[in-house]
Parts: sequence; C-alpha cells; structure tokens
Amino acid sequence: MSRRILIVEDDTETQSYLVKALGEAGYVVERTASGREGLFLATGSGFDAIILDRMLPDLDGLSLLKSLRAAKIATPVIMLTAMSAIDERVRGLRSGADDYLIKPFSFAELEARLDAVLRRPSDAHEETQISCGDLEIDLISRSARRGGRTIELQQREFQMLEYLVRRKGRVVTRTMLLEGVWDYHFDPKTNVIDVHISRIRRKVDGEGETPLIKTIRGAGYMITNGA
Amino acid sequence: MTRGPGFVAFNNATSRLIVAHLALVAVSTAMILGFIYWSVGGTVDAETKSVVEAELRGLEDGYRARGPSGLAKVIDRRIATNRDGDAVYLLSDPNGHPIAGNLRSWPLGISPDDGWVTLQLFRTDTGAEKWISAIALRLVSGDRLLVGRDVGARVAFDNTLWRALLWALFAMTTLTLVTGWMLSRLVLSRIDEVGNTAREIMTGALDRRVTLRGTGDEFDRLADTLNAMLDRNEELVTDLRMVTDSLSHDLRTPLGRLLAALERAESAEMASAERNAEIARARTEVRGLLTLLAQLMDISRAEAGIGADQFAPVDLSAMAGDLVSLYEAVAEDAGIAIRAEIAPDVTVNGHAQILAGAVTNLIENALRHGEGGREIVISVAREERSSRLSIGDHGPGIPAEQRAKVVQRFYQVDGSRQNGGAGLGLALVAAVARMHGGELVLSDNKPGLLATLTFRDQGAENGR
Repeated sequence: MSRRILIVEDDTETQSYLVKALGEAGYVVERTASGREGLFLATGSGFDAIILDRMLPDLDGLSLLKSLRAAKIATPVIMLTAMSAIDERVRGLRSGADDYLIKPFSFAELEARLDAVLRRPSDAHEETQISCGDLEIDLISRSARRGGRTIELQQREFQMLEYLVRRKGRVVTRTMLLEGVWDYHFDPKTNVIDVHISRIRRKVDGEGETPLIKTIRGAGYMITNGA
Repeated sequence: MTRGPGFVAFNNATSRLIVAHLALVAVSTAMILGFIYWSVGGTVDAETKSVVEAELRGLEDGYRARGPSGLAKVIDRRIATNRDGDAVYLLSDPNGHPIAGNLRSWPLGISPDDGWVTLQLFRTDTGAEKWISAIALRLVSGDRLLVGRDVGARVAFDNTLWRALLWALFAMTTLTLVTGWMLSRLVLSRIDEVGNTAREIMTGALDRRVTLRGTGDEFDRLADTLNAMLDRNEELVTDLRMVTDSLSHDLRTPLGRLLAALERAESAEMASAERNAEIARARTEVRGLLTLLAQLMDISRAEAGIGADQFAPVDLSAMAGDLVSLYEAVAEDAGIAIRAEIAPDVTVNGHAQILAGAVTNLIENALRHGEGGREIVISVAREERSSRLSIGDHGPGIPAEQRAKVVQRFYQVDGSRQNGGAGLGLALVAAVARMHGGELVLSDNKPGLLATLTFRDQGAENGR
C-alpha cells in the first residue's frame, strides 16, 4: 500500500513540482497552500508524513507544527525553509520537526530524507548487532567483520558505516551523513564525505568480494546486501 | 540654497540669535538708565518733598503766630540765607497778589491742595524762567502760601540722561549688529563649508572631506567627526559597490556556462551519454551559484547578528577535533597532514553551527592555498582573557598589505581566483568572528598564512 504524504506549501511552483515528483515516486499526495487547512488536514485523516513549508501566508509552519505536536499527533514532518538558515533549522527541529531541508534542494535529497523519516524505527529497542549481507557490525565492541575478516575502522568511519547499515537499501545523502555522524548542518563544499566513503569502501569491499556500498548518482550512497 | 554675502537675513539661527541679543541689550540698558533716573533724577526726590512739606507746615504755624507780615519777613530771610539758591517761596493774598517771595505772581497751574506740581515759572531773584516743583497751601485768612524747589538742574540732568540712554541704545545696537554680522559670517562660512562638502558628496564625489582649520575649535571637532563618518560611509559604499560589481561578474560567468551547457543539451543529434554530461555540468554550475548566494547570505546574517539569540557554550576543542576528523581524509589525499594542537575544554559562547561553518572555511582555505606545504596546524588554546583558535598553512601566504583586504567580500589575492572560491570565505569568517565579539587576525606563518580567531571572554571588559 502506497504512503500518503501531505504537502503544505504556498509556492505553487514548488508545490506542483513536489506533487508530480512524489506521485511518480509512488506516493499518494494531498496538497494545500494554507497553513490552517494544512493543520485541519494533518489532524484528520492519517498521513504517513507531512512536508511543511516554514513560511505560509496565514499560519506559519512553526506554529502549525507546534499545534500538531501539542495535539499529540506524531506524524513525521519535514520542514522546508528558504536558503541557508542554520538557526532556523535548529528552531524547526526543536519545535518537533523530524527533518529540515533548505530550499533549494534536490528531489533526491528530499526523497532520501522522506524515506528515512518514514522508516524511522518507532520503538528504539536496544540493538547490539546489525548486519548487511555478510557484513556484521557489533555495536557493543564497536567492531565490524565481513565474512570472518575483521575490518579496521577509525571512529568516524565506524559511525558512517553504522549509519549506512542502519538504513540499508535506502539512499543516504552526503548531507545526511554529515549531519548524522558529525552533527553539522552545512553543505560540504569539498568532497569530504566522498573521500571518507571511498576509504570505508576500500576496507569493506575487499578484492573478490561483492561490493556492498553503491554510489547513487546525483543523490548519495546506499548499502545493500549485494544481492 | 544660495545665500548672498549681504546683511544678516532672518532665515538663519545666527540672525535670530543676534536679534534676541539686541533686544536683551536694549531692555537691560533701558532698565539700568531707568533705575538711575528713578533714583537720582525726577523732579524732586521723596526726601526733598518731606523737607519742603515740613517747611510748609512750619511756615503755616509762623503765619498763625505772627500774621502775614511776620511770615513775609521769615520768607525774605530764608531766601536770603538759602545757600543752594534753589528755594522758591510765594505768599500771596487770596487774589494771588504776591506779599512776599521770589516769584512774580501766583502761578496759574497751582492751586492749594493740588499736591506737588512741576512747571516753568519766572523767578524774580534770578530773573529767569525756571522749572519749579512746588506745593501750595491755603492759609486761615485765605492767603496762599507756596513753597518749592528750583529743579532746573535736575531737568538738565534728566535730559542728559535721556540723551545718554538714546546714545547708549544706538551705540549698542550698532555694535551688536556689526559683531553679530561678523559672527554670523564666521559661523555661516563654516556651516556652508560643511554644506558644500555634503552637496559635493551627494553628486558622487565620495572622497570629499570638510577642511579642518587646525584651530581645534568646536567646528573643527564637528568636522573631524563628520569626516570620520564620511570615511566609514565611503568604505561601506565602496564595499557595497565592489560586492555588486563582483557579484555581477561572478554570476555572469557561471550563468554563461550554464546557458551554453543547456543550449548544447538541446541539440537533437546528441548522444544521451553526452547530453547527461552537459546536464551534469549545468547542475554543477547551479550548485556553485547556490553556494555563492548562500555564502553571501550567511555573511549578511552574521553581520546582522541573526542567531545570536541562540548562543550557548560551545566546546571549541571538541569542535576542532570533529572538524579535523572530517577533513583528515581529504587532506591526506591532497598530500597534506593535519596536525592538531588542541588544548582540552576551551569553550566560547556562541552558535555551534555558525562557528563550525567559519572554522570549516578556514580549513578549506588552508587546504586549497596550502598546497605544496607539508602540513596544516590547527590549534586551540586559552589565553588570559580570551579563547583562541588558529589554523596555519605553509602555502604562499598573503602579502602583509593585502591582509586587511582579503576579509572584504570578493577580494581575491592576485591569481587565487584560479584556485576556485569566490573570495567570500574569509569575509564570512571575519563576520562570524565579529558576531561572536571576536576578531579574525591574519599573520605570517613563515612561510604561509596563519589565521587566528580570538574570542574575548564575555564580561572581560568590566570584570577587573
């Protein structure tokens, strides 16, 4: 069954672009340009996620989100805001947004994040081990093994690999990695993340082994079980 | 706008001041002279009046005791013995015919019980018409008695006083107007200088300044302050102009390339792989443009202090360590080692994300320009009243005379444009430093560039 997404966005061009792109990606999309109507819709029928613009003509995104959370509605929300507002982002996340995207964004980035919030584990039961194919990660001893071979990883490399494996089969963007592992919310200008990934890849995907870490063009990376 | 060199016009503050001054001088002069007139001048003073009135009553008593002939004798004796020669007496019968005294006849203007009267009368003893102040009394028999004083001298004094008053007013007015006019010329000339400079600046000559006369007076001080303001304004305008110029240049080039890539992608016979390459190129250009705009906006936001309400203690040491872990790999690939000399637990009050962005800029700068150098060094340390984070590279560095300029938006050290970057990085870092009450200092790393961020402790200024 396909996921239902609510888009609350007053910019008609962004709105129709999102409706089209998300529709093509297999989501069922409902839209409104009004904050009040958005709040009404969000409190009503069950949406799987809400894409919410920060600036709306009647009720601004932040207030809408606060009302929603006050009403104990935990539908995942991705906030959209105008370019380069780091402090806005912090404010948004504090108000209960699950993720935050700065306009302009690539659709791949939005899709990856939407995917991430939709599949966010609802109950955080303590895992001690996660795996992907024959790659095993021990979260207690903080070590990784592949097919009986121990993989030597630096601390950040381990965190990046853990981040990827927890989202196996899903696209992870560079920005998501930077945020998830380093907790910095800026677009990396140089290829910092790529260099780290290529190192991890050299260690994880040894010679003769099936490559697990894939580069997704124009989006980011994805780890799969190699099948 | 234009004002002739002529006389004081009333449309300026100086003239109004002069007129007010003039009025004040006139009133006070009049008051002083009026007081003199009132105290020494007039016809007869109060003391004289009481003396005369007492004399009048004495003579009346004498008349009652000795009759008209006795009183006439007394009067004659008094006239003869009057030393000042100003005493005037007249005893007349009820019809006004004189019995004794030094007046020719009973004056028409005076009748008994009128009180004090001053008028011109003919004195028989001096033989001249004089100003007399006198008081009269009807005696029991119906005869009339007049006693008075010759006030000719006082009237003359009065006239002198009046003339003095008029002359004083005239002289005062003239002097005030002349000095006022000179003062106003002086003030207006200085003010016009400022005004002319301002007008010249308005027409675009931003480098004009008000000339100082070196006197150190209030006009010089005002001009000095104005000039300082004009310096700052010129700086800002020049900066803004450079930003606009550079922005249009920096936008035009990638936009041109973007247009070219899109046009190539449109051609029908292009292979799809080739078309994808063009689209990728276009996307790169758009990303570059977005980065440029985001950076410009970050600078504006930092300069406006946006985000300062979310300041919290930031662990500078931990942040530097994180960023080293982020950039290590990239640096290694570029053949540069990152050495960290980080003292633990150095904190500053600030915005973690914005600070991290600034430090990232310095690291990327060092990586970009420090090529050829073996290592870059990141150090974090506590100073006496401040926290310090510095990044040193061993690249070509920045010549001393350009160091102040590279923190301006779009300023590029000669030839560094080829290395990428729009010349916004250091401007952003400097703006972020200012936002955090700190500063960015660039110095010689011998060789290379040493960029130091210093954050003064908050409250250090008053906490002695």
